[in-house]
Amino acid sequence: MKQAVILAAGEGQRLRPFTVNRPKAMLSLADKPILQYVIEALAGNGIRNIVLVVGYRKEQVYDYFGSGEKLGVELTYVTQQNQLGTAHALAQAKGATDDEFLVLAGDNLIETGTIAGFASVKPGAVLVKKVANPLRYGVVILDGKRVRAIIEKPREAGSNVVNTGIYAFSREIFDFTASVLDIPDAINNMIAAGHTINAVETEGPWLDAIYPWDILSLNDAVLQKVQGSSGGVIEAGVSLTGTVAIGKGTVIKSHSYIAGPVVIGEGCTIGPHACILPATSIGDNVVIAPFTEIENSVIGNDVNIGPGGLIQDSVIDQGCVIKGHFNACSDHNPNLANGEARETSIGVILGEGCRLGNNVVAQPGVIVGNYCQVQAFKLISGTLPDRSLVF
Amino acid sequence: MCGIIGYIGEKRAGPILLDCLTRLEYRGYDSCGIAVKTDGSLEIYKDAVRVRELSRQVPLSEGTIGVGHTRWATHGAPSKTNAHPHCDCSGKIAVVHNGVITNYQPLRERLAREGHNLVSQTDTEVIPHLIEKYYNGDLEKAVAKALGDIEGSYAIIVIAAGEARLIAARRDSPLIIGLGDRENFIASDVPAVLDYANRVVYLEEGDLAVVTADSVRVKEGGRPVKREENKILWTVADAQKAGYEHFMLKEIHEQPRVIRDTFAEYVPGAEANGNSIAGDSLEDLLLLSCGTSYHAALVGKYIIEELTGSPVRAELASEFNYAGRVSMRNRAIVISQSGETADTLKAMKKLKDEGCQVTAITNVVGSTASRLADRVIYTRAGPEISVAATKSFTAQLIALYRLALPYARVDLRRMEKLTVGLRQLPGKVQQVLDNKAAIIECAVRLAAYENVFYISRGINYPIALEGALKMKEISYIHAEGYAAGELKHGPFALLGADRPVVAIAPRDGTYDAMVTSIKEVKARQSPLLALVEEGDEVISELADMVIPLPVVEPLFSPVINSVALQLLAYYAASKRGCPIDFPRNLAKSVTVE
Repeated sequence: MKQAVILAAGEGQRLRPFTVNRPKAMLSLADKPILQYVIEALAGNGIRNIVLVVGYRKEQVYDYFGSGEKLGVELTYVTQQNQLGTAHALAQAKGATDDEFLVLAGDNLIETGTIAGFASVKPGAVLVKKVANPLRYGVVILDGKRVRAIIEKPREAGSNVVNTGIYAFSREIFDFTASVLDIPDAINNMIAAGHTINAVETEGPWLDAIYPWDILSLNDAVLQKVQGSSGGVIEAGVSLTGTVAIGKGTVIKSHSYIAGPVVIGEGCTIGPHACILPATSIGDNVVIAPFTEIENSVIGNDVNIGPGGLIQDSVIDQGCVIKGHFNACSDHNPNLANGEARETSIGVILGEGCRLGNNVVAQPGVIVGNYCQVQAFKLISGTLPDRSLVF
Repeated sequence: MCGIIGYIGEKRAGPILLDCLTRLEYRGYDSCGIAVKTDGSLEIYKDAVRVRELSRQVPLSEGTIGVGHTRWATHGAPSKTNAHPHCDCSGKIAVVHNGVITNYQPLRERLAREGHNLVSQTDTEVIPHLIEKYYNGDLEKAVAKALGDIEGSYAIIVIAAGEARLIAARRDSPLIIGLGDRENFIASDVPAVLDYANRVVYLEEGDLAVVTADSVRVKEGGRPVKREENKILWTVADAQKAGYEHFMLKEIHEQPRVIRDTFAEYVPGAEANGNSIAGDSLEDLLLLSCGTSYHAALVGKYIIEELTGSPVRAELASEFNYAGRVSMRNRAIVISQSGETADTLKAMKKLKDEGCQVTAITNVVGSTASRLADRVIYTRAGPEISVAATKSFTAQLIALYRLALPYARVDLRRMEKLTVGLRQLPGKVQQVLDNKAAIIECAVRLAAYENVFYISRGINYPIALEGALKMKEISYIHAEGYAAGELKHGPFALLGADRPVVAIAPRDGTYDAMVTSIKEVKARQSPLLALVEEGDEVISELADMVIPLPVVEPLFSPVINSVALQLLAYYAASKRGCPIDFPRNLAKSVTVE
């Protein structure tokens, strides 16, 4: 297999507010979009001819990946105008594909090891994985190695083997993509028509972000593998422990304490006296003012966080301006989202371009939409739609 | 980033190399060169010009083996000497290189001690000399040995006068081999050779390839390896434009990143040692430039005057050369994307003769302007291919903000607002790009007219000029930028239902006066397109078309408005079917007066 098709057109409705302005595949983990991890996994397996199916906010994909040169791959872009489904997306790539190819989702986090071996499999195969909570996914019903059917989000699991959305196909698949919207349906039709589809199980990581707070566990997984580096200026009295990666042009001011794994992007100003605790990713061009503590969180590009804040288990999207003494402490929050209980403790989920005045307190688990404004001394809770004003 | 190319086959190498090089110019174009093997020697042609100009200088050679290079300077200024290919002492071995050799300084010194004569300031030149040192009849071995001494990144192609083969190698820089019929190509990327070959071998990290007209052998760590052949189905434009239809649209969309990159370039230096950029004050400042850069200079005048309270002069370099006067105390900043604009360079020389301190803001490392200047501020926009400047203009504005902020005489609260606001700009620009649907709709309507006026006041007046310039240069619609208050001194006579007016009207100190101007325009039946802040109701009521834009500090509104006007011009030109990246009669870098 020398070619891969990555489906990166989707919007990811359930990940709102983070997917209002970007495709799901461009969600950032440790300062890199999920899609980059997928491309790197392919390159790691020697697959450098990659067709990217893009749609929603495709310019962001173009701009970030360009011709693929920086990652050592050749990218061909194909547009899916309307995001109708994965089979429809794949069908758009028909004119750009070889005789056989891999198909992957651009918004699932994988590593080189996840698809090792699968790259040389015979076409007509699905990569599957055993998971603890199969009800969120497409469950694969097996007959030995052969796939009997794929059932999307079943009421009863019947099996803990799920579909990773990674396939090896020959061009035959295009005979089945026209009549359905999603690839599992196309596969079920192929099986019904007498084709053999084999399942290959992977032991490697495969993580899917379905809800906004899933970003934290994906970020944590990625940070475990990060390499330390420093392209910035570290002032006197700064303490760095564990693995810390600091981008070009970033200044870590005196007496800041950073305990890895932590990734900090380019052009940031951190501290003095800032405290960045493990499993935190900070984007480019971010300012963290003195005496602010951040733990197990993802902070986007251009964010400005004032002095004396506490931010735990939170995701803060790009361009937010947060004044002093922001409190986003984490706690277990059993609220149901789409009928499913959150399993993890979370602090705040904050959409892009929000402005929070001084001394705002966020109740654990609050979800704030994009471009919201909150006046000083307010307590926010629940779910705030985009462009909410809290006065 | 540079582009490299190699050809070996039965056809004349020169024209093929030059043709492929034009496709690599998006990787850099400050200088270029080729080497062609003829009989027992190498003919080398190179200069600090673009490929098109070099093509005119190169005589048609019979040679059928050659290498070529197009350069974007990192070590050593763009000049004939520093252009590739680089040779050994004998002129029998030549190398083209893309990448950065990190240990070139000690290697240079060692080679010089051993009697090698290195003539350029480049990191690359050590490679041919190292190969010469190790060469005793086996070029492949010599190249492998030379690469063993080198640290850093490289994609190289080596040609030797006595050999009917090319040697290629890569580490951390891309390189591919295009397979033809009794001919082979080596290039930085696939599009460079797609007109000649559609079967391609991708070289992997650390590969060394020996390429003849009918064979390709690849080795990794000295052992032969098999690299598979790939058939390429896509067409040339795709990869270079990375999915976009035109370079201009690609460059417009790059702007959030360009702003962030420019920040990363400045932050440590500027905040720790801000005053060193332009000396100890910005008094008696003269800003000089041409074209779009002149509009950046005009915005710079407003920025610096507002922040420091000192008056600033902004002048056209082409006029200053004939009539301009400076005082001894003058400090000057010249702005030129290419750093090669003839009028600007002439003005620089005049300023230097008068004893002025000159700072250059330029996008090209090592350009003539950067060498003439006492201080240089580099914008980090990267190569700009589209003739219409977009991202380089934005980067110039960012450079001016960064330059002026350390001198600002404003209270701390305002300073905090400004520094926070500046950091928010990339995201705000992204919002403009993400919500371009409204702009496209307006552009399609404007495309039907032959005359358009652009008006504004204050810091956005230069943006009216720039918006009109973008529109006229790519869509060929006659567009004029005017200070809104000047409309009544003449242009009123031209207004009417077939002459739309584009008004830039953020809610700053000029807002009420803009409302008055807009009413005057409406009274004369001109269709009105207004660029307003989100939530604006007064002007939105008056206008026929509205482009709502994210709210920013008034000082930074030129960035937001100019991006919106770039998109407006682009989609109007697109609707009219114009050759957007290469408009008629225009050149990217104007090196004649």
